[in-house]
Amino acid sequence: MQPQFAIGIDLGTTNSALAFAPLAAVADPHQLPGASLFPIPQATNPGEVRDEPLLPSFLYLPGAVDFPPGSLALPWEAGQNYVVGRLAQKRGVENPSRLVSSAKSWLCHAGVDRGAAILPVNAPEGVAKVSPVEASRRFLEHLRRAWTQAYPEAPFEEQQVLLTVPASFDAVARELTGRAAEQAGYRDVILIEEPQAAFYAWIERHPDWRQRVGVGDLILVIDIGGGTTDFTLIAVTERAGELELERVAVGEHILLGGDNIDLALARFIEQQLAVKGVKLDTLQLHALWQNCRVGKEKLLEEGSDLQDTPVTILGKGTGLVGGTIKAKLRRADIERILLEGFFPAVSSQDMPQRARRAGLQELGLPYAADAAVTRHLARFLRQHASAAQSAAVRRGPSGLACPTHVLFNGGVLRAGLIRERLLAALNGWLEEEGLPAVLPLAGEDLMHAVARGAAYYGLARQGRGVRIRGGVARTYYVGIESAMPAVPGVPSPLKALTVAPFGMEEGSAARIPDREFGLVVGQPAEFRFFSSPLRKDDAAGSMIEDPGEEIEELAPMEVELPADGGDPGAVVPVTIESVVTETGQLQLWCVARDGRRWKLEFNVRERLAP
Amino acid sequence: MGVSLGRILLAFRGFFGILFHGKLSDGLAARLGLARQAAKAAAPQPPAPDHVDGAIQILSILQRDARLIDFLMEDISAYDDEQVGAAVRTLHDLSRDTLKRYVDLVPVIDGVEGTFTSLGGTAVAKNPALVKFLGNVPAGLPQGGLLRHKGWAAKKVDLPVPKHGANVVAPAEIEIE
Repeated sequence: MQPQFAIGIDLGTTNSALAFAPLAAVADPHQLPGASLFPIPQATNPGEVRDEPLLPSFLYLPGAVDFPPGSLALPWEAGQNYVVGRLAQKRGVENPSRLVSSAKSWLCHAGVDRGAAILPVNAPEGVAKVSPVEASRRFLEHLRRAWTQAYPEAPFEEQQVLLTVPASFDAVARELTGRAAEQAGYRDVILIEEPQAAFYAWIERHPDWRQRVGVGDLILVIDIGGGTTDFTLIAVTERAGELELERVAVGEHILLGGDNIDLALARFIEQQLAVKGVKLDTLQLHALWQNCRVGKEKLLEEGSDLQDTPVTILGKGTGLVGGTIKAKLRRADIERILLEGFFPAVSSQDMPQRARRAGLQELGLPYAADAAVTRHLARFLRQHASAAQSAAVRRGPSGLACPTHVLFNGGVLRAGLIRERLLAALNGWLEEEGLPAVLPLAGEDLMHAVARGAAYYGLARQGRGVRIRGGVARTYYVGIESAMPAVPGVPSPLKALTVAPFGMEEGSAARIPDREFGLVVGQPAEFRFFSSPLRKDDAAGSMIEDPGEEIEELAPMEVELPADGGDPGAVVPVTIESVVTETGQLQLWCVARDGRRWKLEFNVRERLAP
Repeated sequence: MGVSLGRILLAFRGFFGILFHGKLSDGLAARLGLARQAAKAAAPQPPAPDHVDGAIQILSILQRDARLIDFLMEDISAYDDEQVGAAVRTLHDLSRDTLKRYVDLVPVIDGVEGTFTSLGGTAVAKNPALVKFLGNVPAGLPQGGLLRHKGWAAKKVDLPVPKHGANVVAPAEIEIE
């Protein structure tokens, strides 16, 4: 059956959204139908299900006495025994040890076994934990069933589903996301990078985009969400007289976002209160954190000239007025904290500090050590972007990649002040390079653009709109031990064989014929697997003698030739072939001389050395 | 998607049915799927919610989301205006947000208070539940007068079906250290 809708899903670190667009015949390819947001029914209180524009990406694992029996029922599941969404988030504040949050960040954290039941990290004994994949599955399943409940005549499984991932997700994290979707009952899900989706959303809102950008332009997408920051560069090129878009660089996964800013404000107020002798407990600090977010948004709202706003924590227990703690959030303080902590004016040569800072961390996840978004941006433009060979990347005399336009995305960037800070930093660097200032592209609806853009991409894939060419966002390697005499105590040097070059496009395959490996039938063979977001010029089959720090190790890959593939114990010579599927996932295959093929699977159980 | 008119009407009728008659009408119960369950008659049915349950529900929602009961039950005479003001600003925001989430309140007469408002012959004028006449009210039906208060009407009520027999407005809270 032909899908009726393209469904775009933004599976966020803190919030998820779903948008959809009809796939019906479109007469004019420059006038595509718009994407609509799907209000997501979810438990908002015990015994209460409401539609909300976002599904908070929180999972709560209730105990026996958490909720009255039957009060978690959903319209499609009377016997629901866990909570996702608003109620999970609310109850999780009161009992954090049963709350799974930031599941997505765990999905790309190579330091843990991502298939194992490890979340919530601090759950007391007796709580049945879940894996990061399982938590993601539950969010995705909730969306699938909510959709089918609302549109039974267009069941979810029959629609074209596009799921967004951070551009910085490596092949393992993408594979795990795909696995979670599959387990949630999704079929043929297509992965799309979030900053690209944000750019598609801009195109969707500006059908005349061809008049707004031209050949040679370089668009920087800055996406700051609740928990993560993501950078991408998209170049405007030309082929056969038509404008083309090419994603030329993606940044690292930076665990730093709006929540950090709000927490920093809350900590600042907490200190002010401490001076007055007022101490806050955990729940009060959390209330203050939320109030600071609301207060910050109020002060930084477009056109607001408020200089301060009260933040109030109501009294504990039944003594409400008597226990009320009041403080003021001042615009000047916000500006100072943003300027000093998160968006300092730095030189384009400044690189983020590596040392970890206390106060911004939580056990487990590798939070960004340096809170300065501007320094992360400087590094991105200095290192990642300039490594791209693409002639389309505009560079300044110092080698810095110099964007002509900037597109903002993510809830944090609704605040004009923060956008100004980023623009000021960028324009300062451009001025040093002797180049004019960037033009901000007006984004709208920064909270939902990614889901909308993903739905638009569903239309674009049907040949009804422009597509951004990109391919894989990193170069991938398998490790090969050097054939050198072993020296006790020194690991033999490792070489890296390029198996998938940067930019390898969806639906293409690369064969590495010169290098054969001997696989023993009936025995598992393991390949060490590496990637680099920085090395963009290694061609498939090229050997890197001294990989250095630019290459990082991912989860190992395993393959076992079944015994019916030959005599047990026999050695089968194979070459490696990499395939990027139409749905955007990277696969490695072992190919025997007679053409038989075996797929390499990620082994995420292995714990990697940090 | 939005809430369909049918669902709005259902919520409206359910709310007032419970509020004024203490139970849901049979037809409405059938639409909510309650009658169908009764037909099975296999499992004992929980008793239908009554007017007390509806009242407790509203109180517990205002307490849960806005802490209104804490405020009303507290003796605030000892606190100065600044302290009360700080709490009330927050409380007011929370209470209003909560109320708006569940009840869509609109004026009965959407006019400017203090100005002459004509009611000539409208059905509104004949319904004492909608309009109350004050002052020198003539023997017959008044044609209009100064609008003193716009009135409030619940245009839409969107409350979950309350549980029967729960007389708890807010649970006690115990923190494990």
